[in-house]
Amino acid sequence: MHETPTREIFWNIRHIWLTYALLVPMVVAFALGVWNHVRRWRAGKPIERTDNWQERLRGFFVDAVGQDQLRSGDQQAGLFHILLSWGFVILFIGTTVVFIQADLRIPIMHGWFYLIFQSLILDVFGLGAIVGLAVALYRRYVAKVPRLTHGLWQDGFLLASMLIILITGFLVEGLRIVATSDPWGSWSPVGLATGRALAALGIREYGTQLAVHRFLWWFHMLVSYVFVGYIPFSKMMHLFTSPASIFTRNLQPKGRLEPLDVENTEVLGVKTLRDFDWKDLLDLDACTECGRCQAVCPAYAVGKPLNPKMLILDMRRQLTEEIGGVPWAKRELEPRPIIGTSIEPETLWSCTTCHACVTACPVEIEHVAKIVDLRRFQVMEEAELPETAQAAVQGIEDRGHPFRGAQASRRDWYADLPYVRELAQVGQAEYLFWVGCAVAFNERAQKIARAMAKIMHTAHLDFAVLGDEETCTGDPARRIGNEYLYEMMARQNIETLNNYGVKKIVTTCPHCFNTIKNEYPDFGGNYKVIHHSQLIRDLLAEGRLPLEPGKLQELEKVTYHDPCYLGRYNDEYDAPRAVVDALGVERVEMARSRQKGFCCGAGGGRYWMDDEPGKRINVERAREVATSGAQAVCTACPFCMLMMEDGLRTVATEQGTTERPVATRDLAELVAEALAEAAGAREGEAGAALGA
Amino acid sequence: MHIAVCIKQILDPEISPRAFKIDPVRKAADPGTASLVIGPFDLNALEVAIQLKERHGGQVTALTLGSDKAKEALRRALAMGADQAVLIDETQVSAKEPSVTARVLAAAIRKLDPVDLVLTGRQSGEWDFGQVGALLAEELGMPFVPFVPRLDVAGNGLRLEREADGGVVVVEAPRPCVASVTNANDNVPRLPKVKDIMMANRKPITVYGPGELGLGAAEVGDEANRLEVLDLFIPEVKSECEFIEGEDGAEKGANLARKLVERKVI
Ligand SMILES: Cc1cc2nc3c(=O)[nH]c(=O)nc-3n(C[C@H](O)[C@H](O)[C@H](O)COP(=O)(O)OP(=O)(O)OC[C@H]3O[C@@H](n4cnc5c(N)ncnc54)[C@H](O)[C@@H]3O)c2cc1C
Ligand code: SF4
Ligand code: SF4
Repeated sequence: MHETPTREIFWNIRHIWLTYALLVPMVVAFALGVWNHVRRWRAGKPIERTDNWQERLRGFFVDAVGQDQLRSGDQQAGLFHILLSWGFVILFIGTTVVFIQADLRIPIMHGWFYLIFQSLILDVFGLGAIVGLAVALYRRYVAKVPRLTHGLWQDGFLLASMLIILITGFLVEGLRIVATSDPWGSWSPVGLATGRALAALGIREYGTQLAVHRFLWWFHMLVSYVFVGYIPFSKMMHLFTSPASIFTRNLQPKGRLEPLDVENTEVLGVKTLRDFDWKDLLDLDACTECGRCQAVCPAYAVGKPLNPKMLILDMRRQLTEEIGGVPWAKRELEPRPIIGTSIEPETLWSCTTCHACVTACPVEIEHVAKIVDLRRFQVMEEAELPETAQAAVQGIEDRGHPFRGAQASRRDWYADLPYVRELAQVGQAEYLFWVGCAVAFNERAQKIARAMAKIMHTAHLDFAVLGDEETCTGDPARRIGNEYLYEMMARQNIETLNNYGVKKIVTTCPHCFNTIKNEYPDFGGNYKVIHHSQLIRDLLAEGRLPLEPGKLQELEKVTYHDPCYLGRYNDEYDAPRAVVDALGVERVEMARSRQKGFCCGAGGGRYWMDDEPGKRINVERAREVATSGAQAVCTACPFCMLMMEDGLRTVATEQGTTERPVATRDLAELVAEALAEAAGAREGEAGAALGA
Repeated sequence: MHIAVCIKQILDPEISPRAFKIDPVRKAADPGTASLVIGPFDLNALEVAIQLKERHGGQVTALTLGSDKAKEALRRALAMGADQAVLIDETQVSAKEPSVTARVLAAAIRKLDPVDLVLTGRQSGEWDFGQVGALLAEELGMPFVPFVPRLDVAGNGLRLEREADGGVVVVEAPRPCVASVTNANDNVPRLPKVKDIMMANRKPITVYGPGELGLGAAEVGDEANRLEVLDLFIPEVKSECEFIEGEDGAEKGANLARKLVERKVI
């Protein structure tokens, strides 16, 4: 009996040198595999992604080590992934401890450390890993979770190998405990139980125990070596690529696209994989094939030919074809255009840039930036884009807005509102009300502007509009891929804004909000940009908007639809909700809300493109609105509003009525309706303030 | 093969009807904030010319009679694929009627390398005279084929399709000749590539004044215009909306029919 708790390493094992001899091919295979990945990434262009390492490290610990993102998406799956990954990490540390004791001859494997960490914790985490594996197998082959239906053969092989490693590990431990009558055996409860079970099953003879132990020990070791050597050639490589991708993630505002020096760039946008930067190529390798992006993609949900996971994996396959998946592969195949080789144009044009995929991805893969890069090439170098998108872009170029055949002018909506003044008249104002094209030109959406003007007027804010001096921000052109036109529009608007010395901008359109706030700084436009939901929240909090309780009585319940460019792009989920709550109506949430909000289908230029009937994202969302139990859906984006109005009309038709089942109201409209009469009647303009 | 294409910069025809105003003094459309674009059929003419060049080689020259702003139109033509661009400065020109426009354009075309084909749009997008092509042919002493959606080289001459009421007339014409182009599915103007737009910004634009074309006040001054616009106004369109009463569809239908008969619509 030992005095201090420990165990004899390599008990019962002879020819230990063999383990070192086998280590060599394993390490060589591993190193070659890793090197090959690096070779693949180096095909990309340079980009700075190692700055601000403190912030990067923080993200690394939260999302790679703590797997925060993983858990926030699909809690059950995230939890089991933690069990599995942390199980293996702890077991790996345990193996390292053995190495330190046996090879570095630093005696650390004894005493409390041995009992608590090397025995108990290892056992518990090992068991946890088995549970995690079992759930992973269950979800793939029994429950058949839809997002996990890709690469099932490889998954099966990897999961089975890990299971074998864990089970043989426990068998080996159990046999040692019973064979040596380990006095500390109860500190390894899983091992002890396994040993006793084996004994009960008939492996009672000391000699048999030794023989079986020896066989399983070598078997366990061999499988482990093969597994580790195979990691870089399999999706298990995400063990390294995922943390790498998280560490080198984009730290810029999420809503900002990287500008492109159109004048001096040889290839505009991305044609071949080599036009991507190395982080884009790392992304392709970092994808864990978890399918979280697929599960949240609105385009995929309605059957459009886009699956963000396959977008990444198809490009990964092309990279493998061109550069090789193994280091000895014939390298440097002629780079081929991505569109037409691994991605179809329809796939590219199906994306609404809703950012749901990027938000859901646990390893910080940036789908949207890649999609826009590919669009840039299609639009600027090939002039290949859907005709409808082309008409919108042409409209922006020819007449400063994308709405073909618009009947109104930018000044129509306030023609009868004397308190709406233009900067050209007043010279300056505290707030510039940036109206946006959708609001200015669409008759339904104009009511948003009228409501917002009434609100600002009621709150005695000093505000003005640009009138005809406003033009499209360029956002649709940018998301469609015409960076050249975007930059022209941005520069023109910034010149106008700076000439007036504008400091604060209020807008009801999240697309204008996002691009002016996050993208105009790249072109010299720096303003305090406020979304109307934020301004109204503040005005309400300051008591500057007298509401009349009960004015919205017919709306008992209201549900709020998150605009992608306000929510996921700019993390503003609470301001609009606070406003709805202040209106004295009950707010009901749809299943898909906040980060998981379901796109209306309009972003990324999709508003102007044709939708196949039956594959319309707004109808899918409208169905959810219709079952929410609310009498009205509150939007905070003119595009969302128009898409909901349209989708709900289709739902009405489906239900055999002409009346939309749920009303659509912009946040500003609800607030303007709820304003106390006296307040609205300031200077006797109540009637004019809210047209309908 | 050298093709000259006459393009005219016009007020955006897609301007909203409510924003459209007429300047009563000048008797012309008030540009307001409307943008300037190339006339729609002129773009079709450009497209036809560029397609022809792509098939048979040669060069395309875009020309316009316009103000300095019309350079934008020429830049677009260059971006689409024209090789040269010529602006005839309109400041000394009073082109109130198509004959003056045609005279100026003809003088400019004579200054170019010899042309094989001159294309115009079927009609300009604003005044809609539909005459410049024919008058230009007259000035240049060339045959004229109107309403051409497509054409191609045939031997030493050209084979042109002309749209006629309910059919197509196919004609052969010698080179050089003048044709006015109408729109068709196969001459939808192409979207220029951004690379080409940037290149177009660097290409030179030749500018002529009427003097350089040998035209004096007698040819292009006010006295050269014989037509006078007496009045220009936006017709007032009155519309009334009346809801047809009735208990059900049948009754509403009967009431509608009665009203239509009363008003002698049917
Ligand atoms: C889009 C559109 C749709 C229409 N639809 C209808 C309809 O459905 N029904 C109907 O009744 N009418 C319609 N019209 C109007 C109608 O057809 C006309 O009233 C008419 O027949 C004649 O045209 P034009 O004289 O203006 O051409 P011109 O002014 O003679 O111009 C003809 C061409 O000459 C060239 N040109 C002219 N000026 C210049 C210049 N300064 N520099 C260089 N080149 C120049 C251009 O190539 C131009 O296209 C339509 C018009 C347009 C534009
Ligand atoms: S941005 Fe939205 S629509 Fe586009 S791929 Fe991602 S989830 Fe799908
Ligand atoms: S891209 Fe991200 S979310 Fe999509 S499958 Fe890959 S790892 Fe999962």
